[in-house]
Amino acid sequence: MTRTKLELTRFPSVKRLLTSRWVPWTLMAITLPVFLLAILTGLFGTPAGSRNFGIIFVWIVWWALLILVMVPFAGRLWCAVCPIPAPGEWLQRRALVQSRPGGKLFTLGGKFPRRLKNIWLQNAAFLAVALFSVVILTTPFVSALVLLFMIVLAMATSMLFERRVFCRYICPVGGFIGLYSQVAPIEVRVKDMAVCQSHVEKTCYQGSDAGYGCPWLVYPAALDRNTYCGMCMECMKTCPHDNVGIFLRAPGKDLQTTQGRRLDEAYKAFIMLTCALAYSIVLLGPWSLFKESAYAVGTLAWWVYASLFLAANLVIVPGIFFACTTFARKLSYNKFSLRRTFVEYAYVLVPLGLVAWAAYTISFVFVNFSYAWQVVSDPFGWGWNLFGTANWTWTPYLAGLQTFLQIPILLVGLIAAIGMALRTANSQGVPRRAALPVVTFCAAFTVGLLWLYV
Amino acid sequence: MHPLKREFLALGILALAVIAFPAALFGYQTWRTHAEGVRVIDLVGSSPDRGGWMPDAIRVSVGERVRLRISSPDVVHGFEIPALGVHVEEILPGHVQEVEFAATQARRYPFACTRWCSVDHWRMRGVIEVIDPSQPDAPPPTFEPPLYQQLGIDIDALHPAQNVPTGRPSVARGAQLNLNFTPDFRTQSPGDVFAQLRADSAYERYDDMQLWDAIAFAYARSAGNGSIARGAQRYARDCAACHGEAGDGTGPAGRDLPGLMAMDPSTEAHDSAGMVSGPANFTDAAQMLGANDAFLQGKVLRGGMGTGMPEWGSLYSEQDLWDVVAFLRSFTFDIVIK
Amino acid sequence: MNFHLPHGRYYRYLIAVSTVCLMFAAIFLPLPVDAYTPETHTLQINARTFAFEPGSIAIRRGDTITIELEALDAVHGLYLDGYDVNLVAEPGKSASVTFVADKDGKFKFRCSVACGALHPFMIGELNVEPDIPLVRALLITLMGVIGALAFFWK
Repeated sequence: MTRTKLELTRFPSVKRLLTSRWVPWTLMAITLPVFLLAILTGLFGTPAGSRNFGIIFVWIVWWALLILVMVPFAGRLWCAVCPIPAPGEWLQRRALVQSRPGGKLFTLGGKFPRRLKNIWLQNAAFLAVALFSVVILTTPFVSALVLLFMIVLAMATSMLFERRVFCRYICPVGGFIGLYSQVAPIEVRVKDMAVCQSHVEKTCYQGSDAGYGCPWLVYPAALDRNTYCGMCMECMKTCPHDNVGIFLRAPGKDLQTTQGRRLDEAYKAFIMLTCALAYSIVLLGPWSLFKESAYAVGTLAWWVYASLFLAANLVIVPGIFFACTTFARKLSYNKFSLRRTFVEYAYVLVPLGLVAWAAYTISFVFVNFSYAWQVVSDPFGWGWNLFGTANWTWTPYLAGLQTFLQIPILLVGLIAAIGMALRTANSQGVPRRAALPVVTFCAAFTVGLLWLYV
Repeated sequence: MHPLKREFLALGILALAVIAFPAALFGYQTWRTHAEGVRVIDLVGSSPDRGGWMPDAIRVSVGERVRLRISSPDVVHGFEIPALGVHVEEILPGHVQEVEFAATQARRYPFACTRWCSVDHWRMRGVIEVIDPSQPDAPPPTFEPPLYQQLGIDIDALHPAQNVPTGRPSVARGAQLNLNFTPDFRTQSPGDVFAQLRADSAYERYDDMQLWDAIAFAYARSAGNGSIARGAQRYARDCAACHGEAGDGTGPAGRDLPGLMAMDPSTEAHDSAGMVSGPANFTDAAQMLGANDAFLQGKVLRGGMGTGMPEWGSLYSEQDLWDVVAFLRSFTFDIVIK
Repeated sequence: MNFHLPHGRYYRYLIAVSTVCLMFAAIFLPLPVDAYTPETHTLQINARTFAFEPGSIAIRRGDTITIELEALDAVHGLYLDGYDVNLVAEPGKSASVTFVADKDGKFKFRCSVACGALHPFMIGELNVEPDIPLVRALLITLMGVIGALAFFWK
């Protein structure tokens, strides 16, 4: 709606901070040892998850920060400080802080297979983690192996392929951070398109003496959504015309256009929405059968659970939504293909999915947050007491009050989704009533979550 | 700053973060757990189905100062070396509890988990073997055989009392009768005592219930209130999970004891062949009044031999056993435990 | 059928303001509750690794309830959200608490003593009916849907 946006890089201090080569390295030099500690505690610390730094800091502290703060308010900010690609990237550059002449990388530099240049791999990776999440979330050793595997895989892809192929096409977390970062009120964009058009060298993509070409394989001038911009600020360093800035903007601006909507991203939205609902039922519901089936990997009960889980993610929920969009076309004599209608409406689930994850997260993060005090003092569960908090007892914060946070948050997401649905109908040039089946779907989903939580 | 200098500075800091930091973590742990003149042993207690105590046999020398660092990876456990007076009430998962001891006697000290941690909790035991290096082949100390063996009682046989009171014998009512007799309940069951009294013409003027009340009072007096109270605590900790808080044999851990057939707490505690088919029901007056204390002590001491009833002889002192037996009487006698 | 709705900024303000007003009304509106004589219940809850049985319990607001917690295999706890009730039981040592259920809604109860891998997900729920918070939440949602449709329909 509003076209005004505030350029943060207008302020010299911000600009200096973001163009400093030290800043990204410093942030990663902080997150990397924490990440290392999470792996070490998982491998060598107590198997009791509630007393293990790896479990508590990854799945409660980091997760809460990510989904409740960073993604909704700062988009892909986490990707700029994430330690997982750091070792690989440093190897690629053979430098920690420095830029190299012409931004040259040390890697086999293979191009990623064209057919995988989408987020289907990320969808599959997320589903794989999600399917075993009951085990991963609760078993420090398994959790550490997953983290270790990710960092090794990121290093391997850095050596085999150009740039940050792992982040862009493989990382199971990156997929949904990208999808939901469209909601954030912050963006990295070029200031004046004309400057880019007249700039032949395209140092932002190719790299220069001042920095490396976009690690995320994005041409900044083509940025119209946050989805694939990792906010690493390399382009801000390599642009010779000071034409890249970071802007505050209206939240969810990327979702106002229906341009360039894709099936792989649509499926990401389905998977995220379904998982938020599935976890709310399986992990936080009162039905022990589901929890035990999900935990008993390899048993018949688990196979049934796995089949249902995958079917819900890939067939049932998209199927119901498909039926809604089919109905939407019937209501409006839509001239677009069914596939395009389906894909374009699916983005309505971006705000809805984000608030569903926020609601799910709120219901377990606060009651279990007090474990963080214990593991800070005794990360391995070896009887340490570094800060005197090791014996603080479990204290549920906000117990019984979570619903007062969940209800308004869910409502905000639902209203945004309705607005998007109507806008989608509008952009397809059909009467607004075409959006009603999708609006009904969103309302029914919200009511379902409310019924689970309130 | 010169670019190369900058890079080395960054590399130095990074090396600190990824090499020195983990090294410091493990170094700190090594330093913390090291103590001059003390042997530190890590003891991990998991539920028996996940391995029980690791290690479950610890060899130390006489007089050696030993520090156990006890931890649990799963549920709440407890720890006790009864003969050394070492007791840890609660080992919470992921917490480390430290205890120190030094044994002065060369013998085997059994240790055990003291909190119910699974249906197999009672299997969670281990032993500390204390060796005297100067006398490695010293014979183990001898123990007096328990009373039931001295008396030649078959503690696997049924033993119903011939007479059973119509109500619950009351210690308070018995006290008012002021009868003065002091039977030896260790060798005589309450049923035997009743039969003797009934046959004695001196007690003709008392009805059956009055005699039972008097027996209850005599029992409470001989056991002493301290003994019954101590027994009550021990019963709650070690017995109630199977035998039930009400003593009726319907405790949660006894409902599906492994290896037992016909385990239904609603059926009789004994089948027609006299086999135990579930945790003993201490509210069954006939069985309880037909057993003397030596019989009950024998059961507790030796265990049920394959029925799921563990042996407690290796963990309980003589007095502990009598305490539990005294408390068991409170399921048939109306005793106020102070 | 074609809607001819007034256009312009004022229309949107009107919709937004009236929707928010209706939502507040849904929060504070006194809802009729049928007369009910409170009862007294004893709820036997068994705790085992990693479940409460029964996992879901329904009572009426005003009822006096006694929760008897029996642990079947190891030490477990029961922390009831909203009522700040915390019980700890182990096999052979059950625990109980009596209180008046004076708040309605859905209250999760969770194991409060670490008991293994799925401990954080050992959750049951106490439904104190009538679930007025849910009714209000659904009313607000309904207002929100209608308001959002009116607001964005233009």
